[in-house]
Amino acid sequence: MISAARRRLSVYAALFGMIPKMFMAYQIWFWVGLVLNIISMAILVFFWRAVYADTSTISGLGLNQTITYIMLAFIFMPLTSSDLVWQFGSDLREGMIIHQLLRPVNFQAMNYVQMLGGLISRLVWQLPMLFFAVLLFDLRLPTGFSTWLAFIVSALLGFTVMFYFNWFLACFTFYTTEIWGLGVLIEGMTFFLSGALVPLAMMPEWLRTAVLSVPFAQALAVPVGLLTGITPLSDAPRVWLVQILWIIGMWIASTLFFRVAVRKITVQGG
Amino acid sequence: MEMLHRCAVQHDMVGTMTRYLNLYRLFLIQRLKVLMEYRANFILGASSTIVWQASSIAAVWVVMRQVPSLNGWTYDEVLLVYGLVTLAKSINHMFADNLWTIGRVYIRSGGFERFLVRPIDPLFHLLADRFCQDGVGNFLVGVALVGKSSIALGIDWTPSKMLMLVVGVLSGGFIFIALNLITCVSAFWIVDSVPITRLVFDNHLFAQYPLSIYPRGISILLTWIIPYGFASFYPASYLLNRDAGNIAWLGPFVAAILLFVGYRFWQFGLKYYSGTGT
Repeated sequence: MISAARRRLSVYAALFGMIPKMFMAYQIWFWVGLVLNIISMAILVFFWRAVYADTSTISGLGLNQTITYIMLAFIFMPLTSSDLVWQFGSDLREGMIIHQLLRPVNFQAMNYVQMLGGLISRLVWQLPMLFFAVLLFDLRLPTGFSTWLAFIVSALLGFTVMFYFNWFLACFTFYTTEIWGLGVLIEGMTFFLSGALVPLAMMPEWLRTAVLSVPFAQALAVPVGLLTGITPLSDAPRVWLVQILWIIGMWIASTLFFRVAVRKITVQGG
Repeated sequence: MEMLHRCAVQHDMVGTMTRYLNLYRLFLIQRLKVLMEYRANFILGASSTIVWQASSIAAVWVVMRQVPSLNGWTYDEVLLVYGLVTLAKSINHMFADNLWTIGRVYIRSGGFERFLVRPIDPLFHLLADRFCQDGVGNFLVGVALVGKSSIALGIDWTPSKMLMLVVGVLSGGFIFIALNLITCVSAFWIVDSVPITRLVFDNHLFAQYPLSIYPRGISILLTWIIPYGFASFYPASYLLNRDAGNIAWLGPFVAAILLFVGYRFWQFGLKYYSGTGT
């Protein structure tokens, strides 16, 4: 029993460890990506400073609070990653998915661990960006231990919401066998719907309702809202509860869809 | 005699131009045939760029409906700037997208050698080889933004302003192409030129907003070094009768200089190029 658990654990650990290696292969992109991120962040910062040129608060948010939110949302953008959708697409195209389905490991758990490994690598990659945000744009990180704790819990829950949501979307691959269009469409919308570009508080009521009726914001706007204090810390349990409800809903939807969709599997060679 | 000679040279140039235009038409027809085979991809490609742009524009709308201006620029004025740079970008995206893929698609595979043994200019061949449908989405977004904002702003379309619209978009488009050309030449040495091109190209994002919102250093960079400002901020300033507008007439010269530098650098790189041995 124990040895079985240990074996399972070491399998997951190996899967987890593969991800950073894959990323290392793209070293030049590390440096280039850093510069591109600094450019993007500079534009955001100067844009928001210009927005606040004639006004001190917008929808109750001051300049510092907004810019801190925007910078942190930018840095934690990997939380909204839709890698799973792309991976399903390419695995299906290359026939790899057959081998993965046949492996004596829980298929969904394996993917979860891989995606979590990918997330952590990406966040580690964002660390230099955090440094430059502090250095160049005067980012002030929150210092409260409980703030960070509330954020980390919420971020993990949000990541899990996105995992099941992506799982649901990825099931479409079994029908279309081509995922490029769907993937690009989702990535484009994620920017706005996750709250990466504008704090949700600034949106008109109808738009905020619409944005909160899809899961993207749970992974970014919600945790970063806690981290920046836009959502007060006392609200944290309520926020977590909503996220857990999202997870349950998405888990049910994706599991049902997967069960039906996997029977449709058509592999284009491989 | 000399007159006659000059005439002959001119005649020859016109002949070459016509030949290349005809060739481009043939390449384009071929490419469209291919694209029509995969109609769904064509539509998805074009609409994907629209979704991306819609995200950013929606964000600008959400913010700017609550504040009077972005450092003195109203919502519609910002849209005009954004629309102009998008139009210029779409020219590059539709007609010169292969400057991105030269390393990955042509040089790495050895497919580039094909261009070198043909009796047409290799650069022309590279550009004509692929019309990129994704650029159509950018073009439509640009037209919609410039149309919407100019109606909302009540721009008085005098002949000089109409000329500026054409001059601004075309020279902007050629500035995009020239900068991508200069940076893509690195593919002759390092094969994959995309990181280098991105480093320069991404600076156009600054030009989506009025340059006056940035510190002086950035607006100088975007005017004289990586001059995307001539694709948006300066022509928009002219159309809106703002002070900075007159400098926009320099756009065609800036584009011509960059294209000249780009083409010479391309020829230099081509001389160095020895293939990947594929």
